[in-house]
Amino acid sequence: MELLILAVKAFIVLHVALGLGAVCTWIERKGSALIQDRVGANRAGAYWYPSNPLLWPIAPFIRIAGMLGIINTLLNDAVKALLKEDFVPEGTSVFMHALGPFMAALPVFLAYAVVPLAPDFTIFGYHVQAQLVRIDTGLLFILAMGSLAVYGVVFAGWTGNNKFSLLGALRASAQMISYELAMGIVFVTLIIGYGTLDLYAIVESQQDGWGINPLVHPTGWLSFIILFIVGMAETKRGPFDMPESESELVAGYFTEYSGMKFLLFWLGEFAEIALFALIISLFFFGGWHIPFVELPEGMWWAALVGHGVLMAKVLFFCVLQIVIRWSLPRFRYDQLMSLGWKGLLPLSLLNVMVTAAIHI
Amino acid sequence: MSLTFCIIFASACGVVLMRNPIHSALCLIVNLVAVAGIFAQLEAHFLAMVQIIVYAGAIMVLVVFVIMLLNAKQEEGSYSTWLIGLLAVVSGFIFVDMVGPLLSEGFPQSASATDPTVGTVEAIGRVLYTKYLFPFEAASILIMVGVVGALMLAKTDKGKQG
Repeated sequence: MELLILAVKAFIVLHVALGLGAVCTWIERKGSALIQDRVGANRAGAYWYPSNPLLWPIAPFIRIAGMLGIINTLLNDAVKALLKEDFVPEGTSVFMHALGPFMAALPVFLAYAVVPLAPDFTIFGYHVQAQLVRIDTGLLFILAMGSLAVYGVVFAGWTGNNKFSLLGALRASAQMISYELAMGIVFVTLIIGYGTLDLYAIVESQQDGWGINPLVHPTGWLSFIILFIVGMAETKRGPFDMPESESELVAGYFTEYSGMKFLLFWLGEFAEIALFALIISLFFFGGWHIPFVELPEGMWWAALVGHGVLMAKVLFFCVLQIVIRWSLPRFRYDQLMSLGWKGLLPLSLLNVMVTAAIHI
Repeated sequence: MSLTFCIIFASACGVVLMRNPIHSALCLIVNLVAVAGIFAQLEAHFLAMVQIIVYAGAIMVLVVFVIMLLNAKQEEGSYSTWLIGLLAVVSGFIFVDMVGPLLSEGFPQSASATDPTVGTVEAIGRVLYTKYLFPFEAASILIMVGVVGALMLAKTDKGKQG
């Protein structure tokens, strides 16, 4: 029974990650169209009038989904990617070429394993933790998976066997490593503030559920801003997308990828956006807690409501990241580096010192 | 845990036996992550995470970079001089000497398996800042010296760089 619960939880957590990635893809596609004053995807499935009468009841829903671009994003793109030729550049290791996208996407999905998605609840006499594994170093696990994600980019760029790919990989990995420093130091601030590395305990200590936790309050906003910027840089998006800047490097490190391998990079990227939105809402915005509302403890419906609240917060931050990505122009690479090393790193170190002084 | 041991052993062999240096580096990454798995199974979660962050995540990235940018060629031919043979025999004896007690006495029970307070972050932090404060600080000074030395070596033209 324990094993069954674990299997179900693993299934759900994986599908939360995949689902958030898919929703982010759709928001990106339609949102970018809205921002750029276009219509966006609205054709695939919008004219579906099936001849089989058995399919008539679902046809209007499919048509509406098609008009909203959902069919295009979730079905057509996936099928297209699966049917495309899997191109491998000449003179490179096929194994390493295939490893690139897996190493880019796998750590992101693994990081979801330690993220709590709802409060604990009891159902049919079983106490269920809505979290795949509860280790006392959950915060460090996310950092560790972030540091492993560099390999996917490096291998992808290297096996591309051309200069654009390699330059993209160099830019991406230098960017990720530089911003990981600031991220680690922000995590130190959080550890000092909350006094624990357990993600569930961090959320539960924000019982009032209202904004930045009072424990870290004086410096919490600064931590939030730094972590948000770092998150945008770690996902290699927004104004920080030099590694894949099309005007300079074709498509950067994934230039030579096609079909499902390319889609895997894409999926990993969107799952990472959702992951950052998730940890930001868990660390700073009370997770599943609703301001001024006390949900009963241990009830399954309370857990469901809590999960919905958390997902609403996550979607808000996903949309925010996508809006920033489509409204700001790209930095120059030296500006990016000086922001990371001369701006965010000293700022976060200062933040640690102030937080430590407050908590002594 | 025996599965993890198998992964560690196989990947360690791979590091030595692979002809392509990038495959060797890949095996080393697998090896380091598997060692982190051993730590995690001994309930030393903090050590496992630090193993991944520091070794698999930071040091191996540098190694991979060096291999990629120097464009290390596939190794050709074999070194079968008598010196290599001698070194292999000597290191084999050292290995047996190290592993022998483990094989005869069985694996020692980890401290954290019996006492859950040993491997936690709090316990490690407390020990680091009280009992082992001097070695800890000395190590950090050593790393600082390394950083300053690297900066001095890398900075060639003093006129241009501010």
